[in-house]
Amino acid sequence: MSGEKRIRAILAGLAVVAARPGEAAQRLTREKGKPLVGVLPYYAPEEIAHAAGMLPVGVWGGTADASMAGHYFPPFACPLVKSALDLALRGVYDGLAAMIVPALCESLTFFGQNFRAARPDIPFVPVVHPQNRRTPEGVAYLRAEYEKVRDRLAEIAGREVTAADLDRAIGIFNDHRRAMRAFLEEAPRHPSLVSPRVRHAVAKSAYYMDKADHAALVGELTGLLKSLPEESGAGKRVVVTGIMAEPEGLLDLFEEVGLEIAADDLAQESRAFRTDVPDGGDPLERLARRWSLVEGCSLAFDPGKERNRILLDLVRNSGARGLVVLMMQFCDPEEMDYPLYRKEFDAAGVPVLHLEVEPRMSLEQARTRLQSFAEMI
Amino acid sequence: MYTLGIDIGSASSKAVILRDDGEVAGQAVIPVGTGTTGPERALREAFAQAGIAPEDVGRTIVTGYGRVTWQGADRQVSEITCHARGVLHRMPEARTIIDIGGQDVKAIEVDPDRGFVRNFVMNDKCAAGTGRFLEVMARVLGLEVEGLAEVSETSARTVSISSICTVFAESEVISHLSRGEAVPDVLAGIHQSVAKRVAGLVSRLGVRPPVVLTGGVAKNRGVVRALEKELKTEIRIAHSCQLTGALGAALLAREDLSKI
Repeated sequence: MSGEKRIRAILAGLAVVAARPGEAAQRLTREKGKPLVGVLPYYAPEEIAHAAGMLPVGVWGGTADASMAGHYFPPFACPLVKSALDLALRGVYDGLAAMIVPALCESLTFFGQNFRAARPDIPFVPVVHPQNRRTPEGVAYLRAEYEKVRDRLAEIAGREVTAADLDRAIGIFNDHRRAMRAFLEEAPRHPSLVSPRVRHAVAKSAYYMDKADHAALVGELTGLLKSLPEESGAGKRVVVTGIMAEPEGLLDLFEEVGLEIAADDLAQESRAFRTDVPDGGDPLERLARRWSLVEGCSLAFDPGKERNRILLDLVRNSGARGLVVLMMQFCDPEEMDYPLYRKEFDAAGVPVLHLEVEPRMSLEQARTRLQSFAEMI
Repeated sequence: MYTLGIDIGSASSKAVILRDDGEVAGQAVIPVGTGTTGPERALREAFAQAGIAPEDVGRTIVTGYGRVTWQGADRQVSEITCHARGVLHRMPEARTIIDIGGQDVKAIEVDPDRGFVRNFVMNDKCAAGTGRFLEVMARVLGLEVEGLAEVSETSARTVSISSICTVFAESEVISHLSRGEAVPDVLAGIHQSVAKRVAGLVSRLGVRPPVVLTGGVAKNRGVVRALEKELKTEIRIAHSCQLTGALGAALLAREDLSKI
């Protein structure tokens, strides 16, 4: 099989996983013979589930009508958690061995409480990240939280989770993060093969595959892409930021109006792969220290507002002409950051497009905005 | 060689045909938009006025809400770019352009050096402050949209409309009328409501004078006055305010031809 043919085959396979995550997760548990654990965003210690012999899968909601969740959430709730609860109520998560729910924003906190009441049959495993995350006390606190997660998952799995199990899992997840970073760096050089939708599918599929398998495929993909010459690229490059780049029809609009993604700062994509678990010492403490190393994320307390500089550098260093903000509707953490970095971008003369997104949004207005932005930059 | 710009909006269809020298040879506004016979009727009228046949047109650009589905143009350009181009052609001093269309409002900041769009904002998910809002209110008041300005000029005071939502505002207007408030006074409140919505949007962009208003609502002096009050600045009305998008499209088509 030629290099380009193999690239297309890998991308098509990952696109199928991303398009039907439920089916992919069922296939995964069948093939590996291990139970699935649902993991809500963000920065959950998935490594612990892996070390307990389970398969962590992402819970990022969907595009279906979330009417059943209306019983628990008001209309102005975050569409991600609302949709995730709706799917839980409709039985989509039946059979999960547990649901890990970090409480990094108010919406996730409410989700946790509602999920517990709505689906008492699925074990609920909460994690509370400290916002004073860089102090020794903060790390010690989070380690204690992770210890509780380890013990709960060990109880559910009916097996001990040793330090060696955790070290092995951390190694696999760090390898996967490195593979994803290498791919995301290489992808902009091949816009005709890696369109915005395809790029997103590669990142999203990571949540519904075994991490080692995904890292191997992505590593092969990146190697094959590197063997091809860099394309000149007819489109205009932009950086995207926000929680996630969905609905996927939105990404087709990027392609339609001639926008290429030079880099991203999405919570579901680059932010999830940006920070490795550091080396050395007790594995639970290493996992806790990862949280202290996270930079430039709306979910992590950032007193120096480093995100402003990180985002501006990302745009400048990636050769992008502007920033597209995919603002998740009713997302308080992202909305709090926006005016601050917008001010910096305006002062630097870098164009910014603010686009409010939700899973069931109409794409007509988005088309006009994206096209106008593409014509403007 | 002629160039054609066609602006297919949600509420109306507009066409402008330009001669080689950039002068308008024909133009038309038909008060029905995408998904209707409006675009074809606008074209027929503009061609008849110009006295030319479609074969005489060297390049066509389509813009507006219906731009993606309309077949027959060489390319499509967003209405934000086209409105900016159309306004700047006739009013190069413009710095802020407000376009109040049938179902959306756009505020555009123009780059004084490059003469093009520097930033823009649009209304989102809500028709308050648009032409459609005024149409709904005109129906409740038993008036024609074209006559709103004249009626509001006779108002003695403004009856404030506090609801943002078009549906709730309609109920509020009905309740004011049932309490015996005068139609011109309620209408003044409706104009003020539109102006507040539009001003709120424009303030996200920043008001840089001269401010130019385009779109069909620009013909309503009541809205213009209310908007001047809200923005605390003079509003200039674009020449042939409904046609600036189509004019911009025709001008861009002319520039395309010069590059070929």
